[in-house]
Amino acid sequence: MSARWKEVLAGLQAQGGRRFWRGLDELAGSPEFREAIASEFPALQSADWNRRGLLRAFGASLALAGLTGCEARPDGRAMPYVEDPEHLVPGRPRLYATMTSFAGIAQPVLGVTYVGRPTKLEGNPDHPASRGATDAFTQAALLDLYDPERSRIPRNASGPISWDALDTALAGRAAMLDASKGEGFRLLTGATTSPTLLRQIDALLARWPAARWHVFEPVNDDALHAATTQAFGRALDSIPLLDRAEATVAFDADPLGPGPYQVRDSLAWSARRRAFQQGDGRADLMVAEPSPTLTGARSLDRLVAEPSRIPVLVAALARVFGIVPDAPALDPAETRWIERAAKTLAAAKGRGLVLVGTEQPAATQALGWAIDARLGNLGATRRFIDPLRPTPPPDRTLDALLADMEGGRVNTLAILDSNPVYASPDGPAFAAALRKVAFSVHAGLWHDETGQACGWHAPLAHILESWSDGRAADGTPVIAQPLVRPFFDVRPLHAMLAAIGGDFTASDHALVQQTWAEKWGALQPHWNEALLKGTATQSSSPSGESPNLSPSPSGESPNLSPSPSGEGLGVGERNDHAAGFLERRPHPNPSPEGEGLALRPHPNPASGRPVPRTGLGLPGAAQPDAPEGEGLALLLRPDPTIWDGRLANNPWAQEQPKPVTTLTWDNAVLIAPALATAHDLSDGDMVRLTSGPASISGPVWIMPGQAPRTVLIHQGYGRRFGEVARDAGFDATPLIGHATVTLERVDGRRALAAAQEAHAIDGKDLVRIVDFIDTAPKPPQQPKPSFWAEKPLTRPNWAMTIDLDLCTGCGACVTACNAENNIPMVGREEVRNGRRMHWLRVDRYYEGDPADPLLHTQPVPCMHCEDAPCEMGCPVNAAVHSPEGLNLQVYNRCVGTRTCSSFCPYKVRRFNWDDYSGDAPESIKAQRNPNVTVRARGVMEKCTYCIQRISAARIDAKIAGHPIADGAVRTACQQVCPTGAISFGDIADPAAAVQKRKASPRDYALLEEANTRPRTSYLARIGGRRDRG
Amino acid sequence: MADAKDLRADYDTVAEEVVDLPLAFPATRGWWLCFSGALGLLLLWFVSVVVLFGKGVVVWGNTIPVNWGMAIINYVWFLGIGHAGTLISALLLISDRNWRNSLNRFAEAMTLCAVVCAGLYPILHLGRPWYFYWIAPYFSSMTVWPQFKSPLTWDFFAVLTYLLVSLFFWYLGILPDLASARDRARSRGYQLFFGIVSLGWRGQAAHWARWRQVYAITAAIAVPLVVSVHSEISLLFAAGPIPGWNSTVFPPYFVAGAAFSGFAVVSMIAIAMRAALPLRPLVTPRHLDMLGLATLATGLMTAYGYFIEVFDALYAGQEEAATLHDRLFGHYAWAYWGAVLLNFVPLQLLWWRRCRRSPRILFAVGLSVAIGMWMERFMLIVTSLYRDWLVSSYGHYMPSLWDWTLFAGMGGVFLVPFLLFVRFLPVISASETKEEVHEEAEDG
Repeated sequence: MSARWKEVLAGLQAQGGRRFWRGLDELAGSPEFREAIASEFPALQSADWNRRGLLRAFGASLALAGLTGCEARPDGRAMPYVEDPEHLVPGRPRLYATMTSFAGIAQPVLGVTYVGRPTKLEGNPDHPASRGATDAFTQAALLDLYDPERSRIPRNASGPISWDALDTALAGRAAMLDASKGEGFRLLTGATTSPTLLRQIDALLARWPAARWHVFEPVNDDALHAATTQAFGRALDSIPLLDRAEATVAFDADPLGPGPYQVRDSLAWSARRRAFQQGDGRADLMVAEPSPTLTGARSLDRLVAEPSRIPVLVAALARVFGIVPDAPALDPAETRWIERAAKTLAAAKGRGLVLVGTEQPAATQALGWAIDARLGNLGATRRFIDPLRPTPPPDRTLDALLADMEGGRVNTLAILDSNPVYASPDGPAFAAALRKVAFSVHAGLWHDETGQACGWHAPLAHILESWSDGRAADGTPVIAQPLVRPFFDVRPLHAMLAAIGGDFTASDHALVQQTWAEKWGALQPHWNEALLKGTATQSSSPSGESPNLSPSPSGESPNLSPSPSGEGLGVGERNDHAAGFLERRPHPNPSPEGEGLALRPHPNPASGRPVPRTGLGLPGAAQPDAPEGEGLALLLRPDPTIWDGRLANNPWAQEQPKPVTTLTWDNAVLIAPALATAHDLSDGDMVRLTSGPASISGPVWIMPGQAPRTVLIHQGYGRRFGEVARDAGFDATPLIGHATVTLERVDGRRALAAAQEAHAIDGKDLVRIVDFIDTAPKPPQQPKPSFWAEKPLTRPNWAMTIDLDLCTGCGACVTACNAENNIPMVGREEVRNGRRMHWLRVDRYYEGDPADPLLHTQPVPCMHCEDAPCEMGCPVNAAVHSPEGLNLQVYNRCVGTRTCSSFCPYKVRRFNWDDYSGDAPESIKAQRNPNVTVRARGVMEKCTYCIQRISAARIDAKIAGHPIADGAVRTACQQVCPTGAISFGDIADPAAAVQKRKASPRDYALLEEANTRPRTSYLARIGGRRDRG
Repeated sequence: MADAKDLRADYDTVAEEVVDLPLAFPATRGWWLCFSGALGLLLLWFVSVVVLFGKGVVVWGNTIPVNWGMAIINYVWFLGIGHAGTLISALLLISDRNWRNSLNRFAEAMTLCAVVCAGLYPILHLGRPWYFYWIAPYFSSMTVWPQFKSPLTWDFFAVLTYLLVSLFFWYLGILPDLASARDRARSRGYQLFFGIVSLGWRGQAAHWARWRQVYAITAAIAVPLVVSVHSEISLLFAAGPIPGWNSTVFPPYFVAGAAFSGFAVVSMIAIAMRAALPLRPLVTPRHLDMLGLATLATGLMTAYGYFIEVFDALYAGQEEAATLHDRLFGHYAWAYWGAVLLNFVPLQLLWWRRCRRSPRILFAVGLSVAIGMWMERFMLIVTSLYRDWLVSSYGHYMPSLWDWTLFAGMGGVFLVPFLLFVRFLPVISASETKEEVHEEAEDG
C-alpha cells in the first residue's frame, strides 16, 4: 500500500492544482479501477469532456445525424500538415498528409478537414507520385467514407452481434490455430503494398507456419510480371519514363488511361509534352489499339487494330529493326503505319519508347523491349522496379484457395477487404465453398456479396479513419494518418488482422509506428516528418531538389546493347534512389545496386531459337485475316470510373461520364460502327455474348474508332449489393478468361444514360489543331464590334486557360469539382433527361470517319464571358458581373426563370430541377464544403471559378498586406489536373502564368463568333492531321 | 330617314337580343354541360399546380438545353390569342369601323381570359414561383431593382399593362350595357348585381360625353400596346444569342402571328356563339367575312415572316443555317411542317368570299390556325434550343404528363370565366349596336 500511496502522491504532484477523485484507485489511475468504472458506468468511460469538445460533439451530432457514435474530432496523435494545432479556427481547413489506397497502390493525398470533417482530398504536392494531382478515383474515394450503407456493426449468420461476441469467437479460433500451428488457416487479401500489413502477415505466417496467405486482385500486374519473368528472369514492374520519351509507339497500351498508375504516367507525359510545346525536342505518340483509349485519343496517328493484329504489328516493327528475320504480312494501312512508326523511332534513338500492353503475350512484350534495346532506349525511357504488387505464386492464388476450400482443407478463412464472390468468375463456386469452411470471417467497409456469404463479418474503418501505410505508384512509401475518428464502432484494417491473430489490444497506430521504427531504427524525428510531408523517407530529402521519377543519368548502366541473340542486356534497376524518396523493400532475390538485368531469350522449345518469335502461341498471328462471321475478340477491361466494382456504390464515380463513351451509371457492350450496321444494332439494344457455357447479355454502345471484330466490356458492374450499385449495368465476370465470343441480338433495350448525346464535331472548330508550337508568332486578333462598353481591367481580374494539347480527358477535374463545390448527383434517369449537375464537363468529339476518327476531349467550365448573355437575360439581377471579371450567380436572388441558361451559348449552367441537395442522405451532407452554399430547388447554378478559394486568398492577402500572388488561387480542377492543362490567375497581372498561356499563339476562344468574350480560353492541340487518304 | 317608331323597335330588339340574354338565358342545359367540363379542367389545373409546386419543375419535361418548354410555348400562344380582342376593339374603334360592334365585347372578354392564362404561365414556370414579384420594381428592403436590360423585366411590364388596360377597356365598354341590364332585370338578385357593377350609370348626356372621351383615349392607349406587347415578347428570344432567335424580324413577325392566331380564335368563338345563342341578326355573315379577311391578311403577313426567317438564316449561314436545317429536317421537323401546313394551306380558302361566309369552313380554318400557331411556338422554342452552339450540349425535349395536364387545365382557366361572361353579361355591345342602328337610320 505504501508503494501505491507514493504513486498516488507522485501523480498528484505531477498534476498540480486541484483535482477531485472518487477513490484512491482512481487517483492512482489503476487499470482495474478503469475497467470497473467502464463496466459499471459506460457513459463515464471517455470522461475527458470539456466545454469545447462537448459543443463540437453537439455540432457534429447535428451534422452527422444518423451516423451514430460519431465523434468528429481529429485524432490527437495525427500531425497537421502545415498549421499549428493551437490555431484551429472553425472555418479554416486543416490539411493532413495521408493517402488512400487504390487496388493496393497508395495515392498520396492531403486531406482537407473542417473542424474534423474531411471534405476533400487534394494530391500531395510534396510527393513525387502526385505533385498535387490525383485521379478521379482518389477524388471519389472520399465519398465512400460517408457512404450511408457502410457496415457499422459485426454480424454473423444470425444477424448483428457485438464486437465482444466476434472477439470471443476470434480468440477461440486463434487458440485453436496456435495449437495446430495454423493448420487449415487461410488469409485472403487484395493486393497490398502496405509495409505494416506485410509485416503483420509475415509475423502471422511465422507463428502459424501451416497457414497460407492468398492474394486476389481482379485487375493486377500479373501478366506484366509473367512477361518480365520470361524476358529478364524475374518479375519486375515497368515504369515508362514518358517525360523522356520523344517518340512513343504504343501497342494497345494505355498509360494515360484510368488505373493506379495514371497520375504517375500522366505527370511524366505532360512534362515531355510541355517541353515540346516550347520547342524542346519532340513528343510524338503513335498508338495502335483495338478500342479507343485516352492514350489513343492523344495520338494524332492512331491505327485501329484488332487485338490479334497487335502481336503481328509488333513483330513487323521488330523486323524493320532487324530483330526478327521475318514477320507476317500486313495490309497497306498497317504497312504505312509501321513505316511511320519505324521512322519516328529511328529519329529518336535513345529517346524513343515502345509500349506493349500488358495483356499481350509475353513474347510480344519481350519483342517490344528488344526493339527498345536495339534503339538504345531501354535504360533511358523506362525504369524497372521490383513489383509493387507481386504476383502471388500458384499456391497462393484464389484458385488454389478455392480448390483447398472445396477439398475441405480449410477450417478458418479470414478475408480482408476483398470481394471474390462478386469479382471473381468463380464467385458462385467460392460462395458455395465458403459453406464448407467451419469459420469464415470477412472484414470490409461494406457487408457486401462476400460479407454476406461468410459466416462472420467485421466492419472495417475507412483508410481515412485509420493509420496505415503503402507504396505509391513510383514505389515511394506513404503513411496514412486518420483525418477523422471512425464514424462507427469499426476496426481499422491492421487492428483487425491483429484481432484475427488473437491480439485485441493492438492499435493500428502502434502497429504502423512499430513497422517504421524498425525500418528507421528510431521513430523520431522521421515519424513526425513523414506525417508532415506525407512521404516516408530514410532521411530528410535534400531541400530544393525536385523529386524526379527518372533514374539519375549517372547511375545508368552502360551495357545497353540489343540482344536478340541472348547477350546480356543491361537494364538499370533502380527503385531506390530517386531523390531520396524511395526506400528499398527487401526483394526475395535481391540484386546488388546497379546490376544489369539480362534480357533473356524467349525460351522456345519448338524452334530452339533464342529470338522471341511471333506466331508462337499468339492467336490469330499466323493468320492475319481472321475470317468473317466467326467469333469476335473479347476485351474485358476494368471500368474507367468504378474500376473492378470497388467504387460501384459511389455516386460520384457512377455519375462521372466514362472517358471516351461518356456513359454514366452503366457499362455496355462496346462495338464498332461496322459491327452495329452488320447486326442492325443501335445504342441500347440488348445483345447476348456467348463463349462456350458462359453467356451474358447487355446493351450495346457504338464506339467509333473500335476495331470491327472486337467487343469491349467494362467490368465492375452488376453488383448485387448497394442501393447505388445494384441497378447499374450488368455483370461481365462470367466472361473473364474468354478471348472470343459470339454476339446475337436479343429482345429489349436499355435506356443508357450518356452525358453527351451528339459526338460528331461536324466540321466546327470547337477543338482546334494547329501545326505550330508556342514559339511561333501570335496571329493578330481583331476585336469584334460590340454594343457593350469596355470594362476597366482592374487587378485582380480572373481568367483561365485550358490547354487541349495537355488535356487527356481523364475526368479528375469533374470529380474534384463535385467534391469542392457540393455538386449533387442526380441518378441515371435524370442524366438521361439532360439534368446532370456537373459544373465542369468534359466534352468528347469525334472528327472524321466513324470507323477511324480523331478523338478530342475538351473540359468546359463556365466561360465567365465579359459580355455575358446570361447577365443580360436575368430579370432579377441574379446573374451579375463582378469587378474581378467573374460572372456571378446569386443563388438567393435567383427565381429560376432559366433565361440565363437559354441564352448561354455554352450551356454550362445547371438548374436545380429537384431538391437534389436536400434529398441527399444525411451522411452525404456531412461531406459538404462549408465554404460553398448548398443550392436549393429552383435555382440556377454554375462554375464560379472556385470563388470560395478566391475569397480565402483575398482575405489572406489582405491580412498580409500585399496583392494576391500569382498561384495563390488554384481552382479545384486546376489543382487536381495531372497534366497541368488548366491554368488560372489574374489576367491583369502581366507576370501571371495564365497571362503567359494567353499569349501563346495557340490561344483561342471557344465560339469566338458568339462574341461573348469568354475569360476561359483554350490552347489548340499541336500536330498536323494525318493524311487520311 | 326611318320612322322613329321603327327605330325604337330596333333598339328594343337589340336590347332584347343582347341584354336579356343573361336575364333569361336560352341555352341553360348546353351551358351547364360546357361549364361543368370547364370546371373539371379547372380542377385538373389545380391538381397540376399543386403537384408542380410540391415537387418542383422536375415534374416537367424541361432539360438542359431545352430549359424552356411548354410553359413558355403556351405563354406566347395564349398571349397571341389575346391579341385579337384589343386589336378589334381599339384599332377599329379609332378607325371608326362600325362592324366591330358585334364582335368587340366577346373578343375583349376572350382577350382577358387568354391574358390571364398567359400571365400565369411564366409564374408557374419559375423555379421558385413564390418570389415572382421580384421581377416587379417595388420598394423593398433588399434595395435590389429588377434588371432593366432583361427582356423578362419588360415582359412583366408589358403583360401586366396589357392586362390592366384590356380589363379597363372592356369594363368601360360594357358599362352602359350593365346599366341597361339593371333596368331590364326583373329578379332582385340581378337588379342588385347589375346595379352594383354599373356604377350608377344613368345614361345622362354628360355620362355619355365623358364615356366617349375616356373610351376613345383608352383605345388610343391600347392600340400601341397591341404592337408593343408581342414585340416585347419576341425580344425574350431575339435578345438571346441563340441561332434561330437572334433576328430583327422577330418583333413584327410575332405581332403578325399573334394577330393571326387571335383573329382565328375570335372567328371560332363568334361562330360557336352564333350557333349556340340567338345572335344571328347581330353576328351576320358580313362579320364572318370581315373576320375571314382579317385572318387572311394577318396570315399572309405571318407567312412573310416565315419567308424572311428562312432568308435570314440562309443569309447568315453557319449556325443560323444549321438551325434552319434542324427545323426543316431535324427531330422536330413535324413542328415546322405542321405549322406551315396548318397555318397557311387551309388559309388559302379564305380568298373566296363564299368560304369566308361559311361558318363551318371559317371555323375549320380558325382551328387549323390555332393549332398551327401552337406548333410554331413549339418549333421556335424547341428547335432553337435543342441544338444550339456546342455539339456536346445537344439534347432533346419531350413534354411530360404534367406538362400536358397543366395545359389542359389552363383550358379550364380560360373557359370558366369566359363561360361565366357568356352566361351573366351582355356578350355584345348593345349600346354601340344601337348607335350603329341609329347611324345607319340617319344615313338612310
